[in-house]
Amino acid sequence: MRIKKIWKRVIIFIVILTLTFLAIVLLVRFIPQPPEEKVAYARIALSEATSNKADTYSKNLYREAKALYDSAMINWQEENKRFIYFRNYEKVAGFAELSARKAEQAAKISKNNVSDLNIYLKQKIDKLNDIIDQIDKRFTSYPLSAEVWKRISKGKMLLKESEVAYSKGQYAQAKVRVTDSELLLTESYEKATTHLKEYFNSYPDWKKWADRTIRESRQNLSYSIIIDKYSRKCLVYLGGIKKYEYHVELGKNWVGDKRVKGDKATPEGMYKIVKKFDSNKTKYHKALLIDYPNEKDKEEFKKEIARGTLPRSAKIGSLIEIHGDGGRGIDWTEGCIALTNSEMDVVFKIANEGTPVTIIGSMVNLDQLRD
Amino acid sequence: MKNKVLMGLAVIAMVAVLSSCGKKPQAEIDAANAAIEAAKTAEAAVYVPAEFAAVQDSLNAVMADITAKESKLFKNFKGETAKLANVLTLANTVAANAATKKEEVKAEAANLLTGIKAVIEENGKLIPKLPRGKEGAAVIEQIKADLATVDGSVVEAQGLFDKGSFMDALNKIKAAKEKADGLNAEVKEVLTKARIKF
Repeated sequence: MRIKKIWKRVIIFIVILTLTFLAIVLLVRFIPQPPEEKVAYARIALSEATSNKADTYSKNLYREAKALYDSAMINWQEENKRFIYFRNYEKVAGFAELSARKAEQAAKISKNNVSDLNIYLKQKIDKLNDIIDQIDKRFTSYPLSAEVWKRISKGKMLLKESEVAYSKGQYAQAKVRVTDSELLLTESYEKATTHLKEYFNSYPDWKKWADRTIRESRQNLSYSIIIDKYSRKCLVYLGGIKKYEYHVELGKNWVGDKRVKGDKATPEGMYKIVKKFDSNKTKYHKALLIDYPNEKDKEEFKKEIARGTLPRSAKIGSLIEIHGDGGRGIDWTEGCIALTNSEMDVVFKIANEGTPVTIIGSMVNLDQLRD
Repeated sequence: MKNKVLMGLAVIAMVAVLSSCGKKPQAEIDAANAAIEAAKTAEAAVYVPAEFAAVQDSLNAVMADITAKESKLFKNFKGETAKLANVLTLANTVAANAATKKEEVKAEAANLLTGIKAVIEENGKLIPKLPRGKEGAAVIEQIKADLATVDGSVVEAQGLFDKGSFMDALNKIKAAKEKADGLNAEVKEVLTKARIKF
């Protein structure tokens, strides 16, 4: 009877224990579980986006992802304040999932943007350096206005700054500078090119004069001189064949024909040497005076006065020479053509009174010049 | 009856022990946040961006762990407290690294500024020697325009430097220095060709 009673108690105890255990298991089982993994995934996705510079190159999406992550965390903390069985983490999970998705998108877009920007910047920098090369090649000695040179200079500096930023991987900064640089450089280049094109409208005349000069040299088996202003060349022909080629320096406003005394322009046309001055008759080593102004120049000057494009008080220029003392590296004459003294010695020796001197803008047309 | 009272006291003691383990380490959180703020003030995001992002990420991870623990019935923040101490140390290191890097950039910018000012001063002495009466020549116009641009850049860079934006100032000065050196060589070439002593 007693043993039976003990067994009964043991069984009751085991049943109570099992029920208690089951109750605890059920209680724990029904505690709402927070979306830890989802939040951790969102955080890692955000971290990835940050390392892909999405905060710079996919700003809006990155900001949204970050705000959603913050919302997830705030919501989670708020839910934690409620009684354990009344907590609901659905919103937290929703925010975390959305944050992760946006962060992944931001990272992907940022990666693409960085890659595209890298290519874009490289192309732009190369293109602008080409424009600078063209400017240096075609306009270094071209009398553009101070304002245009200022813009070109600013454009070059911005391009340099852009290159510095690009080399450091600061693409956003590089883009701002390259855009500003492009605006200044392309606009200045186009302006200068338009000016040059207008100047080269006279090319058919220049070609006619040059061809005639060479033809006459061939026919007469004599010396002729052609001055190519754009390429700064003095070309000496004998019997129609080029014998010498020298670098020359001109007046600072060498573009266009000479119109008036003191305009520092070198005239364009077909002239002849009218006088030779050796060392003791000129301050520029040796000099060859040409017949500027000729009848055509005088006629054109009168027309300009009549048209009112020149004031009545204007005077026609004169005393245009080929002379020595050159080799200074700049255009410094009043409209004359300067050679180095040693080269002047050669030209002085072969030239006589009557030797043709044809001064033209260029021996080649604009397309050939581009090549 | 006596047994029931004892049992009740034991349960209360147990709860008290468990809840004493579960206190959120607020002081450590505040200290870690303050250290990150200090790193931010030291411009860690500018001078050591990767390190700064890493320390911020570490804090976010610990905060997520703490919030996760707060969701549990029985809480123990020992592990998180240790992690917060690591974040604090890391944030202090990042702040120190940022300060070192900033000093390096500042010194480099200051050196370049001194160097460029010397070149500009030399250029200023050379310009009046350029061939007299030839100021309008295209090449001189370019040199003058370039010199003015370099001057402008140096003024801007000095402004950035004075404001403490050493990184931006450095980028600007590097470009300007390259240009100023090029110009110096160009001016000297013009003077040499014009046979003018300098």
